[in-house]
Order: sequence, then structure tokens, then C-alpha cells
Amino acid sequence: MPITENESQRTQTAVIVLQILITAIFAIMFGRLIYLQIFQYDVYSPISERNSIRQQIVNPARGLIFDRHGNLLVGNEPSFTITITPLNFDMSSIPLLSKLTGTEKEEIERRVMEARSYSFHRESRLLRDVSFEVFSDVQENLWRLPGISHQVEGKRSYPTPVRLSHALGYMAEVSRAELNSSPDYRMGDLIGRSGLERIYEPYLRGEKGTQFVTINAFGRALGPFNEGILDITPQRGVNIYSTLDTELQRVAEELLAGKVGGVVALNPKTGAILAMASSPDYDNSRLAGRLDRSYWQEINADSLTPLFNRSVAAMQPPGSTTKPLMGLIGMRLGLISEETTIFCAGGYQRGRFYRCLRHHGNQTIGQAIETSCNTFFYALMDQIVNRHGLNVWKEMMNDTGLGVSSGIDLTNEVRGIVPDSAYFNRVFGVRQWGLGDMINLGIGQGAMGTTPLQMAISTAAIANNGYRVTPHLISHIEFEDGQTENIVDPPVRIDWMQPNHLKTVQKGMRKAVTDGSGRFYANLRDVPVAGKTGTAQNPHGQNHGWFITYAPFDDPEIVIAVLLQNAGFGSISAAPVAGMMMEQYFYGEIRRPHVYQMMLDFKPAPFNPNNN
Amino acid sequence: MTWYTKFDWLLFISWLGLSLIGLIAIYSATQGPMHQDTFIAGNFSRQVLHLVLGLIIIVIMLFISPRAYVQLALPGYLLCLFIALLTVFFGVEVGGERNWLNIAGFRLQISEFMKLGTILAIAAYLSNFRNATTSNFQTITVILVLILAPVGLITLHGDTGTSLVYIALIPFILFWVGLSYGYSLLLTVPALIAYFTIINIYVAAAISLLLVFAVFMLEKKPALTIGSVVVCILVVLGVQFMLTEVLQPHQRARVESFHDPSVDPHGAGWNVIQAKTAISSGGIHGKGFLQGTQTQLRFLPEQQTDFIFCVISEEFGLIGGGLTLFLFFLMISRLIAIAGSHKNSFAKVTIIGVASVFIIHIIVNLGMAMALLPVIGIPLPLISYGGSSFLSFSIMIGLCLNFDYYMRDFGLYS
Repeated sequence: MPITENESQRTQTAVIVLQILITAIFAIMFGRLIYLQIFQYDVYSPISERNSIRQQIVNPARGLIFDRHGNLLVGNEPSFTITITPLNFDMSSIPLLSKLTGTEKEEIERRVMEARSYSFHRESRLLRDVSFEVFSDVQENLWRLPGISHQVEGKRSYPTPVRLSHALGYMAEVSRAELNSSPDYRMGDLIGRSGLERIYEPYLRGEKGTQFVTINAFGRALGPFNEGILDITPQRGVNIYSTLDTELQRVAEELLAGKVGGVVALNPKTGAILAMASSPDYDNSRLAGRLDRSYWQEINADSLTPLFNRSVAAMQPPGSTTKPLMGLIGMRLGLISEETTIFCAGGYQRGRFYRCLRHHGNQTIGQAIETSCNTFFYALMDQIVNRHGLNVWKEMMNDTGLGVSSGIDLTNEVRGIVPDSAYFNRVFGVRQWGLGDMINLGIGQGAMGTTPLQMAISTAAIANNGYRVTPHLISHIEFEDGQTENIVDPPVRIDWMQPNHLKTVQKGMRKAVTDGSGRFYANLRDVPVAGKTGTAQNPHGQNHGWFITYAPFDDPEIVIAVLLQNAGFGSISAAPVAGMMMEQYFYGEIRRPHVYQMMLDFKPAPFNPNNN
Repeated sequence: MTWYTKFDWLLFISWLGLSLIGLIAIYSATQGPMHQDTFIAGNFSRQVLHLVLGLIIIVIMLFISPRAYVQLALPGYLLCLFIALLTVFFGVEVGGERNWLNIAGFRLQISEFMKLGTILAIAAYLSNFRNATTSNFQTITVILVLILAPVGLITLHGDTGTSLVYIALIPFILFWVGLSYGYSLLLTVPALIAYFTIINIYVAAAISLLLVFAVFMLEKKPALTIGSVVVCILVVLGVQFMLTEVLQPHQRARVESFHDPSVDPHGAGWNVIQAKTAISSGGIHGKGFLQGTQTQLRFLPEQQTDFIFCVISEEFGLIGGGLTLFLFFLMISRLIAIAGSHKNSFAKVTIIGVASVFIIHIIVNLGMAMALLPVIGIPLPLISYGGSSFLSFSIMIGLCLNFDYYMRDFGLYS
């Protein structure tokens, strides 16, 4: 192509145009570079830091729970958890995740959404407590699952043969309200929901640690950031030492199996709970880790309410087990003395006839306790309410631990009912109640409700010569540095209880075991036992059996209160249970296996949940 | 004149400098502890091989008479088309693009080499047909056909990014061979209007008005002016129609995410956010070699190829990024100068073609990395990892060095 003058001119212009054009283009790009690197530096530099460093929470090991002999009651075992960081998670990997874990796609989707709504860039638990096989499958496929990670955590383990369902309590994931109110929890954290796990939650949970790790774009941790100098090591939870005796507990649970009721055994000098059983109970280990939904629904739907702790929450009239206290109150109020006799002709006439079980003839207070004479206590109650009033009686009852909270370190305790005039006015209506309602209270029937724990406390007050103990399951807690802290309240003297009155009542209770209704099953050959049976009248069905007991008679070490619902007379239902526990406690073995076998086979009347 | 005074050291050194910057960046992008045992770990040693190979090719090319290239132009173009056709049927698919062909153990990406083939074919056509001028409708048609044939094949490969480079070549070549200013504007400015339609419709309208005015002033043809008005309106409406009616929401997000990454922060916007973060957090001095967290922790996608500029900017800051831009500027400015002073029209067209390919790649790639343009995956010349791409760009530079070296002898023959 010939290059003409015209074309040459044109070429020169084109060169200039192109040079200007590329100068402009490079100026724009350099300007953009300056804008980004100098003016936007402060915006993006922190983003890049955040991109590469992630704060990881390191969960502490939860504190352990031991029994009184140092045996482990609640420990931790490894549990494998799949976690998710929603920011990096790719929804299209849900099918793969579903296949690997054997979980429904919808379930995973729901949990992913939950994690998202909690936090987009923080790690949350997706699946808790998966099997080791699933865990390793997921681990192998992590590269295909951005945003998914895994961690090994602890879950509660129960190495002893006892269940201690209600005392130990179960754990569950924190609720949204708890998350919002406390900075100590993250989504998916477990929190003690009942029992000791709940009461001692602040001690047991420990302090979370923080780990700063360098991560890559797939959210995979590459290693500690800055050799971990910024990391905060987690602090394991504090170990707590309970007063429970595993062997005694095992006997109590075995004997209660298949029945409905509660047992409390405690040390009358300190209030330390030695055994506490409620039946039916449930298996805490099935609620640890990943919640077994079907089991949870099962125990919630069960009409026998296994989650209900009968040893501290079942309110029943105490029946004749209230008689020793009645004697103490009567003597203190000066209505009777040790020698005062009341004649029993098979009942007490006052407006109407109040029946006794048989003709006892002349009875002192000691004899009345031994024979469980109703007439004596009808008459006594009549005098109490007429001469001093119902409210005086109620106050004194409260002092022994009935109708008030005990202050035990356990959840779901009820106060029980010891009525006063205000109570009757409220429940029955003003002037709608009368002497009959009050006289019945004298033998522990009617509008009265006490729990096995309360009966144990009031019995302890008799056994320890007038001290009100604060029952407790935990004797001390041990911090990581080895320091221990005792958390036991000392017993409080009940000032109106007189030593000579107590002696009388104690003798009566001793006689009740040696010669009275407790002689068949509760009387031990080598250990002097004192006690009192009781039968709470149940207008809806079979009566409830009570038995309160303590031993040794002269220097008590143990108090046991047993309530067996719908089991009939306390002397043949509740007393053998206490007797067997006494044998286990004092001999370390069962010496009367036939009684033990009889109680294992014992079938109470059917429990009707609507009428109890 | 001795050989070393005839040799264009400036062009060569900018080639070498850019290649070495690329090597350093690829080392950083592929040799960190995060990248061990990944498929990109071997990229660095291969790129060293590419660089040595490129240097040898450039040296050998210097010893070949420029007239040989004129004669090779058309056969080379046809060979490229043939291989491209083979790739359509026997190509290896990588990431949705079937543009690789396995030849004796090497993976050849013919679309890279075909850029030069196409430029050479156009240059040969324009210099062989002595009476060809651009006022001639036939000439323009032939040039369009020569460009659109490879575009068709590459589109069949599924590589729209590369076919865009070929299309963008059209206005540069036509302008260079004599298309009038008004028409040249009319070919280029609508792209700018379309771009601003996405970002800011008022700027697009202002540019449209300026274009119409410029066309009228330059051409003084009422019909053409009205035509330009129609073009402007069609572009604005067309882009709006595309965005709202034709594209699916996720496609639209992909287009729009470059200027507003929050539209789709974990899909299309992810790359944009991470690239911007990498560049911006580099600051003036950069985080240091192998210290870029975005790079080393692989927050950058395709960091050894499409987003390589982010690696440079993050680890070497404004200094490294600015140096890269400066070397590119030097190279292209030098190429334009050579093209302007060359006497042979084959060489002139070829060199401008090469400069155009470079500038198009740079605009698209850096525009993408700096979040000025939508994400379109094409390599940064000489710096991005890739054998076909690196060798193809090196051969282009080798050719320009050759034409410049033989400028006096070559000019006489034309």
C-alpha cells in the first residue's frame, strides 16, 4: 500500500489520538489504584484481618460430680460435633451432608437457618453427638463442605449403677432468652436444666477459652495465630462433691423400682442427703449429648410423670408420722405431760365420732406413739386449737420443717401445706370450715401435705435433739487450684423443743419399732432403730404408706423418710424399704434377702394420676 | 549500525520486567504453605519454563526475515482456525470452557495464539490488496469476516471473555487503517454508554449527547447524526431491557455486583469483595512478599491467573501495582510509537493490533480486579499464569521486536 502524504498525516494524528487514549486509560487505572490503596485502606485493611483470623471458642470441660466416698457420679466423655459457619456454607452441599450424616435434608436445612439467624459469621453447632463413623466420614469430606467444621466436645457420662435422675438433673440446649441474657453461652451450648446440674451450673460450666486461629477462605483452620499468644485457655468447671452414698442410693432405687413414691435419707446432724430416690425415674444418659427425642417425648407423656421428683415435690398427708411432732407440741404447750393419760375407747367423741383403730385404753404420749393411737391425738389437737389456736400449731409445725421450703440445693422443691386459719378461709371459705377439719390434722390427715424430704427434716429434728438442719446434696466444691469451699449451713436450734420432751417422744418411736407397727421389718438386730409408720388416707384409692425412722437410737447417724403411694399401710410397704436401707447403711449388705425380695416383688395398687 | 543499537531495548526490558513480576506473583500465589499439595503448586516451575521458552522464541524470531511472517500470515490464520475447529470437537473442558486441546502431552489454548493469527491475516490482507481502502465497503467486510470467524469458533468453545477481546479489536484496527473519526467514535462510545447505563443512567445520557454532538461536528452528515441518536437510545434501552427482562436475577446480580458487591455478597460479589479487599489492604507499601493474607489464605479466586494483579497489589502495594502499570504503559506507548514510525503497512497494522490486544486485556483484567468492570475471566498479559497465554503474548512482542529491528530493510520492500 503506497503511503501517500495524506495517509501519513492521518497516521500521525492516529498515533497522537492513541497515545492520548492509553495515557488516559492508565491514568484512570492508576487513579483507581491510589483511591483503593490509600483512601480505602482504612476500610479494607480491617476486613482483610478479619478474613484471615477467626476467634474460636474453646469449650471447657464441665465440672465433675462425686459421691461422698469420692466415686465419680457424673463425668464427661468425648462427643463428636459437626459445626457450621453460615458465612462460608454452601447450601448446595446440604444433600451431601445429609447423606454423610444420615440426617433428613429438612432437618439440616432447619438447623442451618437456625445457625444463620443466630450469627452469620460465628461457628455454631449443626449436629451434636454424632457417631464416630459419621464424624470421620464428614472429616474426610470437609474439603467438599465449605463452612463445615468439627469439634470434639464433652458430654455427660454416668459411670455408676445408680440413676439419681432427679438429684443430678439433666442438661439441655440454652434457650434464646438465656442466650440473650447471659454472655456466657453460645447457641447450642448445654445448660443444666434441673437438679444439681442446674443449681451448680455457674460452678460446673467453667470459663470458655478463646483461640485465635489463622483460617483460609474455606474456613479451615490452619494453625494458631501469632503462636497463640493472644489465646485464652479455657478453665475447666469446678468439681463438686456430693453427700450421696452410691450404695445406699442403689438399694433405694432398686426397692422403689416399679412403685410410685420417694425416699430421702439424710444425716440428722448435718442435713447431708445420703440417698434420694423418686420413682418412677428416668435415664439421664439418654438425655446427654444429642437429645433422644423419642425418649424425651416418652418421659414427658408418661402419666406417672418420671420427671417429677417425688422425694421433694410429692405432697401427701403425713398420717401417723406426724404424731411424734404432735406430742412435742402438746408437751411444750403444757397441755399434756409425759405421764398424762388419755383414755381410748376406740375413738373420740366431739361433735361427731372420730375413729381409732382399736380400744387402746389409757395411753401416755409414749404409748400413743408406740401404738399409733388416734384418740390421743384427736383429743390433743382439740385442746391445741381450742386453747392456743390453729395458727400456733402451724407455726410450730413450720419450725420443724413442715410447710416451709427447706433450702435444699435442688430444683422443684415444694413447700407443702400446713394449714392455718387463713389457708382454710381461702380454700374452704370463711366459716365454711370447722373443728372437724382441724381435729383431723392431729393425726396428719386432711388438708395437710408434706414431702418425704420434709418428713426427714422433722424426724432429724427429733433425732438430733431439736435442731433444724438444712438439707444439702453438695458438701463442698473444689476449685481448680485445689482450694475447697464448704457450702453447708449449720443446723439451727428449734428453741421450743425441750430435751425431756424429746426424750419421751424418742422413746415412743423406739418402742414403735421394737413393739409397735415397725417391729416386723424395721427392727434391726444390732442397731437400735426408732421410727414411726404412717398411712395417709386417700379418698380416691389405696392409701399411701409412710415411714420415718432414724438410727442408732442413742446417737443417730441416719434419718430415712419413705413415701410409697397407693401402697397401703406404711408398716408393710414403706417400713421394709427403710429397713433394708438401714441394713445396707449399717452392715454394708442386706441381711434379710427375703424381705428385700419381697419388696422387689411388691406391687402397689395402680397409680391413678388424676386422683393423687 | 550495530545490532544492539538497532534492537529496541525499551520494549524488550518492559517485556522482561513484566514477565518477572508475573513470576514473582505466581510464586507468591502458588508456593505458600496453603498451596502445597494443591493442583496449582506446580504452576510456578512451569511458568519458569514458559519464560525460558518465550525468551528463546523471541531470540529465534529475531533471526527470521520479516518477509517470512508476511508469507506465513494467511496459512497461519487458516491453521489456527482449523485447530480451533478441532478444539470444538476434541477439546478438554475446564471450568465450563472447552478451549483446551491436548497435543502430545501439552495443553494448547488456540484462542490465545489465534489473536496474533487474526491480526496477521488482517495485516496481510490490507498490504496485499494495494487498492484496498477503508472507504471501501468491501474492505471493512473482509476485516469483519476475518475477525468474526474466530469469534464464532471461540464462542462455540464457551469462552465469551476471549471472544470479547476479538470484537474489541475491530474499532482499533478500523480506526488505524483509516476509518473516519466520527464512525470510529460511533463504534467505541456505545460501549461506554452501555457501561454507564448499568452504573449511572445520567452519565450515560450525558455521554450520548456528547457523542451525537461529536459525530455531527466531525462528519457533518445529518443522516449519520440521526443514526447516532438512534444508536444511543437503542443501547440505553437495550441494556435496561437486558437487565430487567432477559437476564435471570442471578445473572443480573453478576453483572451488577462489580459496582455494588452487596447485591450478592456470597455469589458473584464474593470475588469483587475479596479482590477489592486484597488490593486496598495492600496500602502503599504492601504487606510484603508471601505476607498477603488474602493471597496466602486463598481468599482470592483464580489468584494465579485472572486475579494476579490483586496478589501484586496486596503484597507490594501501590509501589508494585504502580510499577506494573508503568511497565505496561511504557510497552504500549512504545508499540504505538513504533507503529507510527514504521514504513511497512503490514508491520504497522500488526503492531497496532498487538498493542490493541494488550490494551484490551489490560483494561478488562485490571478493570475486573479493581472492581470497575464485571468479572470477565481473561488473563493479564505476560503476568497471569498460563503457557498458551504467556507464549502467545511473548511471540507478539517478539514479532514487534523483529519488525522494529528490520524497520529500514522491511520498509523498502513494501
